[in-house]
Amino acid sequence: MLHCTVKFCGGCNPRYDRGAAYRQICSQLDGVASFSYPEDGAQYDVLLILRGCTGCSYLYEDISAKHRIICTDQAEADGAAARIAALA
Amino acid sequence: MMTKEQYIESLRKLNLNLWMFGKKIENPVDDPVIRPSLNSFAATYEAAEDPQYEDLMVATSHITGKKINRFTHMHQSTDDLIKKVKMQRMLGQKTAACFQRCVGMDAMNAVFSSTYEIDEACGTKYHENFVKFLTRVQEEDLAVDGAMTDVKGDRGLAPSKQADPDLFLHVVERTADGVYVTGAKAHQTGFVNSHEVLVMPTISMREGDEDYAISFAIPTDSEGITLIYGRQSCDTRKLEEYNDIDVGNKTYGGHEVLVIFDHVFVPNDRIFLNGEVAFAGMIVERFAGYHRQSYGGCKVGVGDVLIGATALAVEMAGCAKASHVKDKLIEMTHLNETLYACGIACSSQGAKTKAGNYLIDLLLANVCKQNVTRFPYDIARLAQDLAGGLMVTQPSEADYRNPQLKPYIEKYLKGVASVPTEDRMRVLRLIENLTMGTAAVGYLPESMHGAGSPQAQRIMIARQSNMAQKKQLAKAIARID
Repeated sequence: MLHCTVKFCGGCNPRYDRGAAYRQICSQLDGVASFSYPEDGAQYDVLLILRGCTGCSYLYEDISAKHRIICTDQAEADGAAARIAALA
Repeated sequence: MMTKEQYIESLRKLNLNLWMFGKKIENPVDDPVIRPSLNSFAATYEAAEDPQYEDLMVATSHITGKKINRFTHMHQSTDDLIKKVKMQRMLGQKTAACFQRCVGMDAMNAVFSSTYEIDEACGTKYHENFVKFLTRVQEEDLAVDGAMTDVKGDRGLAPSKQADPDLFLHVVERTADGVYVTGAKAHQTGFVNSHEVLVMPTISMREGDEDYAISFAIPTDSEGITLIYGRQSCDTRKLEEYNDIDVGNKTYGGHEVLVIFDHVFVPNDRIFLNGEVAFAGMIVERFAGYHRQSYGGCKVGVGDVLIGATALAVEMAGCAKASHVKDKLIEMTHLNETLYACGIACSSQGAKTKAGNYLIDLLLANVCKQNVTRFPYDIARLAQDLAGGLMVTQPSEADYRNPQLKPYIEKYLKGVASVPTEDRMRVLRLIENLTMGTAAVGYLPESMHGAGSPQAQRIMIARQSNMAQKKQLAKAIARID
């Protein structure tokens, strides 16, 4: 089971529904990956970064994770579950 | 940080002397006219709890290192200034109204840097006083109203030369423990939803105005403070039996009040300026600059909702494909994004103050606000153009709920056959709300006069325009010595 966390960037003018995308990814990875919000000092397998647009550049380097999966639009969010599953 | 629920409960403990429609309001929290404005303010707490908006809503205190609501934060970088504007746009989108908490954030950032420089020049202890106040605000996640605008009386006279000395708030008595102030602050956005009020002088001052050069913070329910609630267009629709469709925005709103200070005590440790007339202008200029930046975020978010409502209205009427309709929606978007561009620009060009927090580029912030005095009106005009006359002539919700009349309204107000008539009515009422109803107070006249009327920005633009350098450029090209 992959230990995953998520960060939402921005939200000022998102091009897609990041919350819905996150719920969909969690649902698609049920039994493959577990998601929680970041906690100080925790080590994660995957940090999923759901950016609302291309204007955000943060990588959240204070969060320790082996892999970073970044989505900036709905198409990338649709493919995120498969990308994470491939890391399992 | 406080949750939305904790914030609302905290307001119940305030003992405000609030009046509306000639009557004292004992329970503003549950008052149907006031509640939508509380809901907007509460959105600033609710969004901070949502991981989707944490990046925008939550910052790290430079004082304690703890996580705090960005509305209580002293901007530590240009990135913080940019995030502020993005946060405001997001909250404008969520509420389609003024969420009221910006004025306190802008006042606190202005007074933070100003008190540092006043102390440096005058040997006073105002910054220490202010940091103590700010630390409590951050720790308890308090809502702060920033009160600048005096009622001003005769605009041609200085504060100390007015026929009535109370037309600018001033010190009327000094004791060993503090001062007593009398006067009034007009147009106070969000005061009823705030725990504390941060008072600032309203204009630059000169010798003779010492009693008027006063800045301080006290609880909003301090003895001697009287609040008179501001009337808004269509406000009593909220009191009607059928108050869903016709209000346009049932959940959210904004408010302003006239705040009267009648011999109100201010303890010494809550004073941030007291007679140093040379620095009144610094506080005014910095507060105005921050607040003019703010409008490049919040009004844009409200504009996003208005553009969306207009696009829905034309779809529901079946005319979304007409070229002039598409072009007008493009024009609305262009105007709205231009405002946002100015908000982001003045933030990205910000600079560090001596106190350590960041101040926006004042020229670009004033250009931003000058555009805000115009573009929302243009956007609203185009929205009304595309919405059509039905926006203001459609029957009331009470008629729509009447079984005898409803079939007629369903039949004759129908646009595209697949769209329920009620949906169409709701969208048109939302456009009415934003351009003529209660929300228009925040979207239009507040865009004109909030953070200073248009001429105030033009004065600042003239002062910041660096005309001497422009003339040198021209001379060099024209080969004039």
